[in-house]
This record gives sequence, structure tokens and C-alpha cells, in this order.
Amino acid sequence: MIDYSALKKAVIDGDDERTAQLVKEAIEQHADPADIVTLGLQAGLVTVGEKFSSGEFFIPEMLLAARTVTRSLDIIRPLVSDSDMITAGKVVIGTVVGDLHDIGKNLVGMLLGGVGFDVLDLGTDVYPKRFVTAVMEHKPDILGMSALITTTMPAMEATIQALESANIRRQVKVIVGGAPVTQHFADQIGADGYCSNGGSAIELCNRLVGR
Amino acid sequence: MAMSHKARILAAAHRQAVDKLPFGARIDVWYNYHCAHGTLPEKYEGWNMVDILRDQGAGVQVRHMRIWKLEYDNLEVVTREDPPYTITEWRTPVGAVSLKTVFRPEEGSWIVYEVDHPFKSKEDYPVIEYIFQNTRVVPDLSEYQQKEKMVGEDGIVITGMDMYSPMQQIMRYWLGYERFFYELHDHPVQVGQLYELQKEVAKKKLEILGESSVEIPMLCANWSDEFHTPVFAKYFSPWLREASDYLHSKGKVTQVHSDGEMRRLIPLFLETGVDVAEAWTPMPMTSVTTGELRKAWGDKVTVWGGIPAVLFEPQYTDQEFDTYVIDLFKQIAPGYNFIIGMGDNLPFDGRIERVGRIVELIDKYGSMPMKL
Repeated sequence: MIDYSALKKAVIDGDDERTAQLVKEAIEQHADPADIVTLGLQAGLVTVGEKFSSGEFFIPEMLLAARTVTRSLDIIRPLVSDSDMITAGKVVIGTVVGDLHDIGKNLVGMLLGGVGFDVLDLGTDVYPKRFVTAVMEHKPDILGMSALITTTMPAMEATIQALESANIRRQVKVIVGGAPVTQHFADQIGADGYCSNGGSAIELCNRLVGR
Repeated sequence: MAMSHKARILAAAHRQAVDKLPFGARIDVWYNYHCAHGTLPEKYEGWNMVDILRDQGAGVQVRHMRIWKLEYDNLEVVTREDPPYTITEWRTPVGAVSLKTVFRPEEGSWIVYEVDHPFKSKEDYPVIEYIFQNTRVVPDLSEYQQKEKMVGEDGIVITGMDMYSPMQQIMRYWLGYERFFYELHDHPVQVGQLYELQKEVAKKKLEILGESSVEIPMLCANWSDEFHTPVFAKYFSPWLREASDYLHSKGKVTQVHSDGEMRRLIPLFLETGVDVAEAWTPMPMTSVTTGELRKAWGDKVTVWGGIPAVLFEPQYTDQEFDTYVIDLFKQIAPGYNFIIGMGDNLPFDGRIERVGRIVELIDKYGSMPMKL
């Protein structure tokens, strides 16, 4: 029986060398890769997200933890078939048209990827039409949009309207976030969820996919 | 005789008495956007921003990036256009780095956005060190002085925006935020060397500010507590204290642009010696109310701001806007050490007439000491 608490702690510490070492040791001990991921790496990242949401951790800790998990997943991935990789759900993310800010969006992507979501990042300056096309093509469970400047926030509403025009609004949950975005605004444009920070994105997305 | 807008703002910044609540309004996002799109209200077509603010009755806040220019010895700087991007390359004897920026006035922006930062890998450390070591800071005040003349007694020209504390300059401009935190973790010695060299550049900028006519030098900020708290006490606070002490010795007061989430920075801020927290942005755009901030800072810091940008948008009714502003007045009464302003700008879809509405509400409730 492998004790995953040390692995979880290494993730929380953002210690990628220690994490990689523990992952390799677990593999040598014939641990189930799925257990390494869920009980060690993802459990650590969920704790980091919780500590961030509670104000104990800051973005640097989240970045380091997410990088640690990403690097460790690279060690595990060759050992398992795609069908064995547990996927929590599929998420398409992007920063809306006119906006080039990407730190918050990148962080959300890394965190969601780290806890088992299949994340497709469309990048920055994404037009509503491109979001719609991505939803049609990839059929994600969740579409996440980010905006950092007030000028670009209306593009979130335009994207939701574009999803409605394409008759695919009900196929996907839409979440929004970014510094000027508020719950009030999210409600007003008909989004399904709002994240005030990257840490809460994990909890919100888990809830939206019924995890 | 009533004080001018400028006199009120300066008095409040110096924590001195004022006759009426000062108001310094910032509308450049709104103005730039509508100029670029040809959608200024009919009345204001062809007007400049200062005259629009005068027409609304508000104190004027105009931005000017810097009163110096950077020149380099022993290296070549080459700039080329690759629309919509501008690529700047520093070619030094020890290697080259490049910066990719984009300028989008049509989105209301007045500054360039760094799309790709100069630092790409650890091989770039010696190149950036070389650039810092060979940077000269040369006074360049003429444009600032023109703006100063244009604004006159109706407000303030704010300058010093690239006066970020040296570590934030490295973080924001040279490495980018994400890479900075990875590098600080992976290569702390090299990042520390960049910090020491950038500090020397920043000191030269400070000297220019100290000898200038700038009344409230901006030491910039754009902080968000979730990013900056871990490095604030070690890198930001000592520099801001040093800069403020120096500028105080020159008879000036200092300000920073505090438009982000400040909750966990509020107690740390008091260590900086900075006099004015400009662009203060409270709930609902951040988690902190102005009342909480005043309770934490008392009369130690003058606050400039208090009305979050979203309040100017149509999603809030005129009644909701009035209610918010009057409640703000109640939170800050009797009103000393406070300058009303936007957190941090009038958004592109904001209602310009609400700037004038603030003036009306100040006329009604803002005589000192305010009694609400």
C-alpha cells in the first residue's frame, strides 16, 4: 500500500524534483498510475486551490504546484493508454476578443488540467465565432471566458448570444472570470458560473460536471 | 475664494485641509475608445479630453508616461513593425533579446501591451544584465510641461508610470509575471542580480523626478494581492520607502496606482511611506469596501478613487449610481485625506454625464467637514 501523503505534500510545496522522484518511486512499486494521479497529484492540487481560495496561498504557489503536476503527468502519460487517463470533463478556455491578458486564463487552464480536465486553450483575442466553432468541434462540458479590461467584457455576452444563435447554448456550461467581471455581470449576461479567482475554478468546474 | 481643483487635490495629497471634497476624474479609456471609433457624443465631437472634463465640472486627471527617455551605450536597439506588433530588439556584445508589443487605442488603451517579454530562457540573464548596466536615463520634460500648462489649475498631470519598483519592473516588463515567479524559484541568484542592476536605473529616474516640477510623482503599482503579496515586503516595500523618503526630502508627496485587489496588501502598504493610493477600486470590483480601507489606514494615507469603473456602466441605474456615491460619502465622512476618483477609469460604455453627476453630489454633500 503506497502512502500518497508525501506526494501530495510535494505538490503543495511546488517541489517538482521531489514530486518527480516520488512519482518514479511509486511507478517502481507498481502503483496504479490512476492512483498516483488522483490520490497524489490531483489531491495536492485541489488542496492548493483550496488554500488559494481561503487566502492562505497566493498565485506563485499555485503556478509552481500546477507546473509540478504538469511535469509529473508527462512522466506518467507514456505508461498508460489514453482510455486509462481519467478525464473529469472537457473545457475550452480563452480570453475574449480585444483582450490580450492571459495570466488568469493560463492559471485556470493549468489548474483544471492538473485536476483531470481535458483543457483546450484557444489563447487570447478570441472572437465569439471561434468560441462557437470550438464548442461545435470539441463538444466541451464547459466554456470558460476571461476578460481583464472593461472594454472587452461585452464580448462575453456576444459569445453567449452567438452560442444561442447556433443552437448550442444548452450543450455547454459557460463560465466567466477576470478582474472587472462580477457575479452581477455574470448573472446579467446569462453565464452559468463565475469565478473570482483561479482556485475557485476547480470547485466550480467540478460542480458543473457533477464531480 | 474657493480652492481650484488642483489646489484641492494637492492639499488632500499633503493631508491638509480643503474647502470641499476634491475630485480628480480619469476618462482616457472612454475618450480614446470613442475617438478611435468616431463615437464621441455629438456635443463633444472634436473636443479634447481636458475640455470635456472641464465641461462636466470635474477636476482633471491627465496621464503622461514618463519625463525621461532611456538611452543606451555600447549596444544597438532596433525596432521594426510587424503589424499589429512592434518588435524591439536589443543587440549587445553578449547576445540579443527582443520584446513584442501591441498598441490598441481602439480598445481605449493609452499604453502598449507586452505580448512577448525579452527574457525567454536563462541564457538571457547576461544580456539583460548588460542592458541594465549600459542604460542612461535622460531628462525629457517638454511634453509633460505642455500638458501641465494645458491642465493649469483644473487638475493634475500624473507622471512616473514606468517608475515601478525595480523588482516589479523586472517582473512585469522583462520577464512577464508567470516566468518571473518560476525564475525566482529556479534561479533566485540571477533574478537578484537583475534586481540590483535595475535599482541603479530606477535611482536615476528618481533623481529626475526629484528635480522636476512634478507635484505627486507616481511610483506606479497595478498590484493584485494574489500576485504581489509574497514579494511585497522583501522587494517592493523597501524600495518604495527609499523612493518616498527621497522625494519627501524634495518637498513632494508620492502616489501609487492601487486599482487591483488590495486586501492583503493593505497592512503592508503602511510600511512603504507612500502618501496617496490612487485609483482605489472598492467593491464590487474588489473584495474591500472603502470603509474597511479607511478603518485600516486612518489618516496615514490619502485615498484617491472610490468609485469603481463598472458603476458608470448602463448595468447600474442612475439611482443605483447615486446611492453608491452617497454611501461612499458616508463611509469617508468627514472627508479629509480623500480625493474622489475612478477605480480606475471611465469605461468605454460608461456614461460621461455621471462624471457631472458626481460634481453635483459633491456640491450638495461635499463641503468640509462632510456631515452625512
